[in-house]
Amino acid sequence: MKQIILPGEKIADGKLRVSHTFTDGDSTYAAVLGFLDEDRFMPLEGPYQPRQDDVIVGIVIGVRSAGYEIDINTPYGAFVQSRDLRIRLQAGDIVMAQIYGGGKEEAKLTQVRRLPAGKIVHFQPMKIPRLIGKKSSMINLIKEGTGGEIIVGNNGYIWISENCNVPKALEALEIIQQKAHQSGLTDEIAALLK
Amino acid sequence: MNMEEIKLLKDGKRLDGRALDELRTIRIEAGVLNQADGSALVEWGKNKVVCGVFKPGECIPRHEASPYEALLKVRYTMSPFASLEEHGRSGPSRRSTELSKVIREVFENVVLTEEFPGAQIQIYIDVLQADGGTRVAAITAASVALANAGIPMRDMVAAVAVGKIDGRLAVDLGKDEDNFGQSDTPVAIAHRTSEFLLLQMDGQLTREELMQATAMALEATEEVHAKQKEALLQYYEKGKRGELQL
Repeated sequence: MKQIILPGEKIADGKLRVSHTFTDGDSTYAAVLGFLDEDRFMPLEGPYQPRQDDVIVGIVIGVRSAGYEIDINTPYGAFVQSRDLRIRLQAGDIVMAQIYGGGKEEAKLTQVRRLPAGKIVHFQPMKIPRLIGKKSSMINLIKEGTGGEIIVGNNGYIWISENCNVPKALEALEIIQQKAHQSGLTDEIAALLK
Repeated sequence: MNMEEIKLLKDGKRLDGRALDELRTIRIEAGVLNQADGSALVEWGKNKVVCGVFKPGECIPRHEASPYEALLKVRYTMSPFASLEEHGRSGPSRRSTELSKVIREVFENVVLTEEFPGAQIQIYIDVLQADGGTRVAAITAASVALANAGIPMRDMVAAVAVGKIDGRLAVDLGKDEDNFGQSDTPVAIAHRTSEFLLLQMDGQLTREELMQATAMALEATEEVHAKQKEALLQYYEKGKRGELQL
């Protein structure tokens, strides 16, 4: 039974180390709005917090002499030194990269690659696992159904290639975002893309 | 006008026919704005308050940023058309500066600001129509908007005013009761811990009356919290949270 949990509601007895929760006394409480599926707490809302090895999609927002400022959907952004890059970037370019380190500061990026022109979508970061699905089942379904390439950043930015059926992909993304906390989503998406 | 002549209680009922421990009708809707990361609309009797929240972002101006925690920036404003008493302007006034400060202090106690050092979290509250008790409506709205935006919090906050009219304690004072009663005491309470995050007192209450008033507030905020929860549940059941931002 899935149950929607508000911030401050108890999710378990005993102190647990689960992300998006906090402990007080001998119990663990939700820190953000989410739902409880049996004993698993899944957040529904929340800002992106970078972690080691996350694959992210970023947008170049500033070009400095030493490197590039990149918007990766965090309060702190990211900076890539141009001497660490083999390519030149321009403001507005879309890049794909991996987080190195993570934490509550300006993020360090590795493996920076420029992506060709495409559509950028801002998805809710907490619902990215649902969009990817078990063993990438959901995202592969959408890729097959729309005939293009889609790169999902853990930070909530999604890049959709130009040869994709973009309206259809957007429709699928919107449904997933709306119904992330419901079951039977894969069937619905499969039906949509047929 | 002779204040003594105004009767706020008649046959144990109030001007609008409510009992002493009865709240006005409260309607809360979550997620009413597209561009804010979280939002809420509260219609509390004749009050109409809308609140929009932005997720943690770069702190501006930068020198204000704290290396230990995120700053909360709260702006409470009243529209020029909110009530008769605002004089056609909605810029910062003594009143709105005070309310912005007390509301900020309420949420500094529950938001996990240490998760986002160096950042700021913005909370904008606009009172569209005022009829007494806008600060409690504002706090109630901001709590729903923060939950809606996914800002990590230790607790939901519900608020209500308690006061004294014609010598009797009553919850949720309307404008006339506020103006012509003997006391108006707005209270904000964290739901899980029952901690008092706001307690202001206009007019006077005796020590015993204050104790009784806080007990009444505890009971009334339960009801407000139930409305907050209902609003958020409804929002997710309807699946409204989902419009893509392109």
